[in-house]
Amino acid sequence: MGEGRMAAIQAMQQSLEAAGYICERDLAATLLLMSELQRPLLVEGAPGVGKTEIAKVLARTRKTSLIRLQCFEGLDVHHALYEWNYQRQLLAIRMAEAAGSSALDEEALFSGSYLLKRPLLEALLHATPAVLLIDEVDRADEAFEAFLLEVLSDYQVSIPEMGTISAVSIPLVVLTSNASRELSDALRRRCLYHYLDSPSFAKELAILQLRLPQIEDRLGRQIVEFAQALRQLGLKKQPGLAETLDWAAALLGLGVSSLDEAGSDRIRNTLSTLLKTQEDVRAMEPVVLDRLLALAG
Amino acid sequence: MAAFATTPGAAATARIAGFVATLRSNGFVIGQRETEDALSLAGSVGIMERQPLRWGWRSLLCTRAADWVRFDDLFDSYWLPPNKQGLGETRAGGAGLVTMAEDAWNGAGRAGPVLQRDEVEDDTGLPGDTAAQDGASATATIETADFRSLSDRLQTYAIEAAIRDFARRLKRLRIRREQSRRRGARIDLRQTLRLSVGTGGSPHTLRFRAPRRVRPRLVLLLDVSRSMSLTSFFYLRVARSLALELGDVHVFLYHTQLTHVSEALRDSDPWRAQERLQLLSAGWAGGTRIGECLGSFNRLHAGRLVHARTAVIVASDGYDTGPAGILGAEMAALSRRAHRIIWFNPAKADPRYAPVARGMREAMPFIDLLTAGNSLTALEAALSQVVASL
Repeated sequence: MGEGRMAAIQAMQQSLEAAGYICERDLAATLLLMSELQRPLLVEGAPGVGKTEIAKVLARTRKTSLIRLQCFEGLDVHHALYEWNYQRQLLAIRMAEAAGSSALDEEALFSGSYLLKRPLLEALLHATPAVLLIDEVDRADEAFEAFLLEVLSDYQVSIPEMGTISAVSIPLVVLTSNASRELSDALRRRCLYHYLDSPSFAKELAILQLRLPQIEDRLGRQIVEFAQALRQLGLKKQPGLAETLDWAAALLGLGVSSLDEAGSDRIRNTLSTLLKTQEDVRAMEPVVLDRLLALAG
Repeated sequence: MAAFATTPGAAATARIAGFVATLRSNGFVIGQRETEDALSLAGSVGIMERQPLRWGWRSLLCTRAADWVRFDDLFDSYWLPPNKQGLGETRAGGAGLVTMAEDAWNGAGRAGPVLQRDEVEDDTGLPGDTAAQDGASATATIETADFRSLSDRLQTYAIEAAIRDFARRLKRLRIRREQSRRRGARIDLRQTLRLSVGTGGSPHTLRFRAPRRVRPRLVLLLDVSRSMSLTSFFYLRVARSLALELGDVHVFLYHTQLTHVSEALRDSDPWRAQERLQLLSAGWAGGTRIGECLGSFNRLHAGRLVHARTAVIVASDGYDTGPAGILGAEMAALSRRAHRIIWFNPAKADPRYAPVARGMREAMPFIDLLTAGNSLTALEAALSQVVASL
């Protein structure tokens, strides 16, 4: 029985890889569990480690649509769930008045055709289970978090004018958080949890080769060595995977074939893809850069 | 909503329940449903399948990053025989970032760090038994901070009155985000139209948009080292009153290490709060490493707690025994994040006081307000300064 489990996890990992997402086996295990238990998944980790990508690749592997709700401070029900199309309702009223009042049915005014579906409702009413990405949930305020909790536990919403609407299909929900605010225990308990670490050398190299297949093996290794060493420096803004990919693309664009031959001046020009704050740029003195290049070479 | 049909046998169930209890006593938030899911997962995966079970339970039972880094160690120490421990997969991120039990109160007799290296003997199979084992570090209790006066009646009343006054005066800051209100300068078209539907499309009731107002968040970092022992109890009582009065207050204690104590302080029973603090602080050695403690605060907590509307209140006399330079650098990092840094230094009560201690000298450039606040009258004066500075 257990053998079967490990095989299932590996199959999951392979299907993710086929869809262009390289991950460790433990994440595959989590995603498998997520679809078995039909629970939302809360993903935390440093920026740029591929949290959002999880939802995208889930949608790709299951061949369903990805519905995204980007959270921000002040996000409310009207942005997230539904809103009445007031303009259209008013228009209908005016037209009915012009045509003679009996033509308008009040029930019809609060029917589906006047309802603007926002991401949450759209995900619940999707014919097949969709993937719902609730991005950066820590940016929304506590009131919205409580509301979200209610939706995620019952998978039904109530619209006062229409009554309770239950989900047509239960979506796969992925929440991401950058830990800019502490989330409530209740929401955390509702969700499965996965913490994405900075990628290991092997993983980062595999992703680099998958995304930029034209890159030479030697340069690829040097780039990843450099990025890994850079993360040890304690920069203010740690470069994530996306930054490594950008940098590799920049180096390719400049026609660099290996880091040790390129010369530190040319490389310094491309560092704007990796270093994102003034302090980090200042910390990258020529001595430090040379040392990192020597490490990578 | 168990998705799996099978459940493990009675003995295995008891072991798993014991594991969940161990996690709970380590500060994990685990509900009944998660326990059931953990059981049914074990049933379907097979109790001998260590790795898939570890991954599955980890997703299921962890709720935050601090849990995540400790889970593997707890799993190993509970399930593996001692000679196999530490052979589990290596983990980046450093295990043992947080080794304090938030609710050590529940694990009677256990103090401080709770990673158990000994395999638990499970005689009765009752979940409660396995959870109440003594931690390995019970003997490491060298010195315990003195929290006795936390429950002194009369002074508490006086402080509470001062804090209530403070909370009332703590003005709400205007921020740029707007929200719908009954009164304001600009009309909220969306809400007005929504309300007009009920009156046939003519807007009877107007709604407006106005800037939201929020209360600044307070983060307190209290030095409880021996040099502060005369005043730290007073600051602690202030912190408790603040935590009870205001919602968004986060309290940390430090001398050689930093501990988050908001939960323990908020305990409605002062005696129990005192006990819990006693347990949380057990095993601390003497000395003060302000710089390093501020550093660990910056690394572990500042990201989620300190935003542009946060006032950080540090209470310390500035006698730092750590290496030079760290305190200044960490204060600089903190001041970039925080709205204001307010430093309570009891020595400031003396009018001839000058910040000559090295730690104080390093911190001075980043302090927005230095005040004493070490007695009731001084506190009232300090709090009005704080309100004015926010």
